[in-house]
Amino acid sequence: MTEEQRAEETKGSILVVGGGISGLTATLEAAEVGYEVFLVEKNPSLGGRVAQLKHYFPKLCPPTCGLEINFRRIKDNPGITFYTMAEVENITGSPGNYDVTIKVTPRYVNEKCTCCDDCAKACITKIPNEFNFDMSTTKGAYLPHEMAFPMRYVISPKIIGTEDANKCVEACKYGAVDLNMQPETITVKVGAIIWATGWKPYDASKIDNLGFEYPNVITNMMMERLAAPNGPTNGRIGRPSDNKDISSIAFVQCAGSRDENHLPYCSYICCMASLKQATYVREQFPDAKIYVFYIDVRAPGQRYEKFYKTIKEDENCFLIKGKVAEVQEDPSTRNITVVAENAVTGEKVQQTVDVAVLATGMVPNTADTKLPGGVKCDPDGFVISDLAAGGIFATGCAAKPLDVTSSNQHATGMALKAIQTLVKS
Amino acid sequence: MANSYLVEPDVNFVRQLKTMGGETLKKCYQCATCSVVCPISPDERPFPRKEMIAAQWGLKDKLVGNMDVWLCHHCNDCSTYCPRGARPGDLLNAVRAYSIQEYAWPKWLARIVPDPRFWWLLLAIPMAIFVMILGPAGYLKIPAGEIEFAKFFPTLLIDLIFVPLATFWVPLVFGIGIYRFMTDLHKNAVAEGKAKRKDLNIPDFLKSLACALPAILAHSKFDECSSNKDRYISHLLVFFSFLGLFVVTNCFFVALYILQLPGPYSMGNPVKILANISAVALLVGVILMIYNRLQDKGDNIGKGSYFDWSLIILVLGLVVTGILSEVTRIAHAPILAYPIYFMHLVFVFCLFAYLPFSKLAHLVYRTLAMAYSRYSEREPCE
Repeated sequence: MTEEQRAEETKGSILVVGGGISGLTATLEAAEVGYEVFLVEKNPSLGGRVAQLKHYFPKLCPPTCGLEINFRRIKDNPGITFYTMAEVENITGSPGNYDVTIKVTPRYVNEKCTCCDDCAKACITKIPNEFNFDMSTTKGAYLPHEMAFPMRYVISPKIIGTEDANKCVEACKYGAVDLNMQPETITVKVGAIIWATGWKPYDASKIDNLGFEYPNVITNMMMERLAAPNGPTNGRIGRPSDNKDISSIAFVQCAGSRDENHLPYCSYICCMASLKQATYVREQFPDAKIYVFYIDVRAPGQRYEKFYKTIKEDENCFLIKGKVAEVQEDPSTRNITVVAENAVTGEKVQQTVDVAVLATGMVPNTADTKLPGGVKCDPDGFVISDLAAGGIFATGCAAKPLDVTSSNQHATGMALKAIQTLVKS
Repeated sequence: MANSYLVEPDVNFVRQLKTMGGETLKKCYQCATCSVVCPISPDERPFPRKEMIAAQWGLKDKLVGNMDVWLCHHCNDCSTYCPRGARPGDLLNAVRAYSIQEYAWPKWLARIVPDPRFWWLLLAIPMAIFVMILGPAGYLKIPAGEIEFAKFFPTLLIDLIFVPLATFWVPLVFGIGIYRFMTDLHKNAVAEGKAKRKDLNIPDFLKSLACALPAILAHSKFDECSSNKDRYISHLLVFFSFLGLFVVTNCFFVALYILQLPGPYSMGNPVKILANISAVALLVGVILMIYNRLQDKGDNIGKGSYFDWSLIILVLGLVVTGILSEVTRIAHAPILAYPIYFMHLVFVFCLFAYLPFSKLAHLVYRTLAMAYSRYSEREPCE
């Protein structure tokens, strides 16, 4: 179907930037009421942060459960065109009438790919697996993850020009590896833009008193990957230094959050994420002691409050009011000692544990980039929706820290805002 | 936690702390980062998180007379790591300033010493006293001939003013403050469960004082600071140069009245050498203090209030006039030497007379608190 044909059939076009849960929702909500949607995703696969989780709220289901149905809806909807490994380069125009240039970087694998893994087998070079926060490696030819959509391999630019790349071409029985792919620039005309570029975890190494340099101090997102069945340990939560069973674990809340030296805001999800991760630990290690150090537990809404209560009832789960401000490692045992003042008893607590999890917050992906088309951000880097002017809107964690449920609600609302722009213009 | 506690906020106390350098105290949200990052806070009932909530709630009895306020050396590691910019270190400094005024007597003087509107009055008092004593006795004019300060301001008259000041005024006025301070310190420590012993035994307390002295002399607490490392050296210089000058003053007192040897003394005299070294060390120390405070723009040491700055400026004035008196005397410039010497004596008077009211009172209060913390076994005696 050519673009001219489609434009006649539809009521107008919308650009969605970012293919995480918010971007997918905005795309589908707009497309399913008859609008043409262009979805642009920077990574080789859609799904965003949600795809990295073991479970997500509110039902503690694996991410496949929500993402698969969304991917299915995208496949079935002729009004949706999506680009992976693509970024918006430039935006000109005004609400109702934007010209957008999209830059697509080559994947070096075409649609003939059957995911047979022969290219990866042929490739020798290993590269850090960013999807697993570098806790494992992949080959230079790889599938982003087992739930990837599109289900297609990627040849890393790191092996382009090496002997490995040629080996991949030779290994592919289907002629799917194409090293001659060039970067492409695509221009589209849209009436409204939804910015759904999501977030990245705050860099824990910037927090100099929480011991992220020690192997047994990890972040909450690393914990998700460790616990996820498709993660670096196939879902086993072992101690990173020696893969030993976990007998005790500390969750360090507000690690770099609500802190004017780091992120001044609350990232909304970290309390629930740690309580959820307490259930991962409990599932695998029924006797493990779980310590959660917090300033105050933010469990918004009745359902989250109930979840918090069930965790509190676990007699091996200890919630201590006091922020961890010092972390030490015993070099011989690699055990971690976290230090906090229990503000209820007024005594200093030194808790030695196998692993400490830093509940780091969300940094909007827009924090350190200048956005095209004069899209504005607040001082923390979250995209500002100019509702009065219309045309360009932000949703999900590009707009503010949100959980999945609220992201979906927010994205639905912003899809409607985008539609309003089209109707008005 | 079973005990109920009726909070009686002293709103005026909170307001006053805010004007004395604790203006950020309301930003605290009790995360307790401060108590953990503090390098000198003990594990049992650590500070300064509990002091922050006491300040927010206006619980004066939990702050004034609290030894922990004085165990704090204003490293400001707490303020550096504070996620809210509540600056616990500066708050404790404000509590100390408040406490000095609270314990000082007479009250009118306790009010005007820290009040920036009255700095001129504080200088006018010694000037008036000097003029009243020197004028009728026929001095107060620039004498002819070789410069000898005794010709302008006879040593006997100086001692007539300064000896009673040092032996009567300071002990009397400070004694009252110290007595009330120690009573409160003990009461607060017992009430808050910080003291292992419930009695206050003077001989044992003096033993604890002796045990605290090495740490005070070595500035070992300052040395544990990380945000404010620069202060260690400047405070050490100022502290030991004052100690040196104290020794010098006593030696010359003995020389004059017992050995009958009036000054000026030769430059090769060992006591004179000590005096000159101390003067230079004091100058370097106080300049470093000023430099550190100005350079970090209040990030580490805190901006400081008039209460902090007035002492620094006084010490600077004291050492500059002291050195210039000597230099102008040697340079045979009587027109400069005598007035500068006069001002030097004014500054010395201020230092002594206002000791119990100014920031310098921390010399005594912090020493007592450090001794008491060892007495009460809050800190071990090294």
